[in-house]
Amino acid sequence: MNNIRVFFEKKGRAIYISHLDLYRVFQRAVKRCKLPVWETQGFNPHVYITFALPLALGVEGVCESLDTKLTEDLNPEEVKDRLNSALPHDIRVLRVGEQVYKPTEIEKSEYEINIDCDFSLLSDFFGQEHIITEKKTKKGISEIDLKPFIELIEIREGFIRMRLPSGTEFNINANLVFDAFEKQYNTEIVGMTIKRVGIYCKNGEIFA
Amino acid sequence: MYKEKLDRILPKVQKPSRYIGGELNSVQKNPDEVSMRFAFCFPDTYDIGMSHLGMKILYSLINEVPEYWCERVFMPLPDMEEKMRSNDILLYGLESLEPIKDMDFIGFTLQYELSFTNVLAMLDLAGLPVYSKDREALTPIVCAGGPCVCNAEPIADFLDLCILGEGEEVNLELMRLLEECKRENCSKHEFLVRAAQIGGIYVPSLYDIDYNPDGTIKSVTPLENAPEKVKKRIIKDFDKVYYPESFVVPFSEIVHDRAVVEVLRGCIRGCRFCQAGYLYRPFREKSIDTIERDTISLCETTGYDEVSLSSLSTSDYSEIEKLLGRLTDYTDKARVNLALPSMRIDRFSDELLNKIKSVRKSGLTFAPEAGTQRLRDVINKNITEENVLESCRIAFEGGYTAVKLYFMLGLPTETMEDMEGIKDLCDKIIDLYYTIPNRPKGKGVQISVSLSTFIPKPFTPFQFEPQPTEEEIDKRQKYLLEIINSRKVNISWSRYSFTILEAVLARGDRRLSDVIYAAWKKGCKLDGWSEYYKFDKWMEAFKECGIDPAFYANRKREYDEILPWDHMDILLSKDFFVRENKKAHEEVTTPNCREKCSGCGVNKCIGGACFE
Repeated sequence: MNNIRVFFEKKGRAIYISHLDLYRVFQRAVKRCKLPVWETQGFNPHVYITFALPLALGVEGVCESLDTKLTEDLNPEEVKDRLNSALPHDIRVLRVGEQVYKPTEIEKSEYEINIDCDFSLLSDFFGQEHIITEKKTKKGISEIDLKPFIELIEIREGFIRMRLPSGTEFNINANLVFDAFEKQYNTEIVGMTIKRVGIYCKNGEIFA
Repeated sequence: MYKEKLDRILPKVQKPSRYIGGELNSVQKNPDEVSMRFAFCFPDTYDIGMSHLGMKILYSLINEVPEYWCERVFMPLPDMEEKMRSNDILLYGLESLEPIKDMDFIGFTLQYELSFTNVLAMLDLAGLPVYSKDREALTPIVCAGGPCVCNAEPIADFLDLCILGEGEEVNLELMRLLEECKRENCSKHEFLVRAAQIGGIYVPSLYDIDYNPDGTIKSVTPLENAPEKVKKRIIKDFDKVYYPESFVVPFSEIVHDRAVVEVLRGCIRGCRFCQAGYLYRPFREKSIDTIERDTISLCETTGYDEVSLSSLSTSDYSEIEKLLGRLTDYTDKARVNLALPSMRIDRFSDELLNKIKSVRKSGLTFAPEAGTQRLRDVINKNITEENVLESCRIAFEGGYTAVKLYFMLGLPTETMEDMEGIKDLCDKIIDLYYTIPNRPKGKGVQISVSLSTFIPKPFTPFQFEPQPTEEEIDKRQKYLLEIINSRKVNISWSRYSFTILEAVLARGDRRLSDVIYAAWKKGCKLDGWSEYYKFDKWMEAFKECGIDPAFYANRKREYDEILPWDHMDILLSKDFFVRENKKAHEEVTTPNCREKCSGCGVNKCIGGACFE
């Protein structure tokens, strides 16, 4: 049995594919290119694919990944080419490799944000001592201070680079930060694109 | 192109992937390299429209021509529409994300009457005047096809032209003509006059309608050489007709999320209430080889794990067992489910059941349509109580415990005795279940009775019949609820407010265009959706336009009345429908076309008998 990790990007029109639908996209692609993927055993067998970390709707990703299991040994390049021949245009497999870290070791995601809004308001927002907003959890809506979780790397007119907590235990959606901004200043962001550019593990290494 | 603007609004709407295109197998072309652009509009939401087979066929067919580009367009839901309007986004094609008002054709497929207001809503969202006469430029030409254009009169004022019958050939002929007219700088009127000379093209503005004092039609006068009768187009060599090798595969789940293979067109049955059964004649089949080829190709190009055989009555395929044998050879190996909707009750053999069972064990649905043999003879639903019970027996022995039964209320000649017939049939099915020795232990039988209301449609023997009034339907529903009190039977029914509108629009004339306009102006759209349907607004619109819905829904027509759709020729004679109507009232059945030709007239167009 051959455990592999497939790294892919999700961009353009594909950023609106929900996490649930993304599973189906890959399941059909596997079927189309006849990739020998292991199927779960049981009453209703289905191809085994799990995603390391969900990506929020409307966010572009260039370092997304999924884990799967092949029933034969295949050259990583061949897996990549076959999948790319069967995937929609805006989902591209970049690389196929080994599963180095476990998805549970993921701690942070890094985002690049292009944003069209009043910059003075924005720097004001990130400079506050607390950024209190509401976050939906399984138990309902609760108040949360975002400030300690936002790791700003770069901020200038129209551009932000930052890291936010990600992973199986605790997660902050990048959209939540900007919803909080819009709410606090009662303003509307004219245009914004969010791109996930890096996923980091607890040991500080890039998730591989 | 709206991509940037859409990126701003899509994160804020429900299920955004349906508004952005980019799905597997969707077709991209360079706008500078195409000479004709066709916006194929389904006047309902993406989830419904993407399940429609006709659109898939014509989309691929047009896109096969390198210099033509066909795009898909659907009706946005209110949350999206509001965002589009506030951000100045006009209705766009899902492929190019460019406004459809700049394309050459805007073509609607009209599958059901309750989508008519969506046509207006979509034209308006596209930034175009909704009335044909107010769109002066040559392009875009707004056209429509699909079953409802057999009587397009109610929306005639909004359409530039209609395409009657099967579109596989005529669509391209029409596009070539427009290409020519664009080159020659023709006016829109010149184009329409020339288009009317193409077989199957109906240009409503080229027909003058006169009315009698009693509101019926006095005369229909064609202008500028338009044909007196517009003849439905059909594909003669059906086995060779174009069929797509691939489908666009949606990201989100849609109503019918699977590959679909067409096995036959037309129907041999002649149920007297069923418009499709007459509209799609003559009966034509594809060969097993063709069906197998299409099945394999679609499964391989889409990655779907389910394929369904599509037709009005798949069990009427002449070599059905052989076909299923061949297909299951492939589907078993490829691990694809084979779905078989539209199977007739009297063709439900053990062998067929096993074929279906190996696929999926869900409930079974039968459509006896009427409770007594007398009424089933009236509607020419040629099945007997024994057929129903025998099918149920096979199903129960095969391990099924739930059965769904479809009935219609308000059929011509119906009485309370027919209601009792429904109850008796349910009782007999329940009794039958408890005689099955190997029925699942500890599990009762469950019968779902689904009651729809009879809607008389054009081009059926019942086109002359009145639809019973709300009080009459109500009485029958109440009586049924009173006499059926078994907890093993669930009853559901359709709302009269939907069916009366459908009845009016189905047999309406051109004077209804203003009613539809008024209703749309009052906010009516997405009328097929109970959460958006505004019956009171529709009634206000009728009142303001001085039109009585009962004139269209509840009035009996004489055989010699000029009907609004009489200048459409679907290749079946009016005499045939009159004959069938008389036989219905005499409770006399008509055998199916394979047993004996009923002389509907369609064989004239294929030059000989439908069956050897």
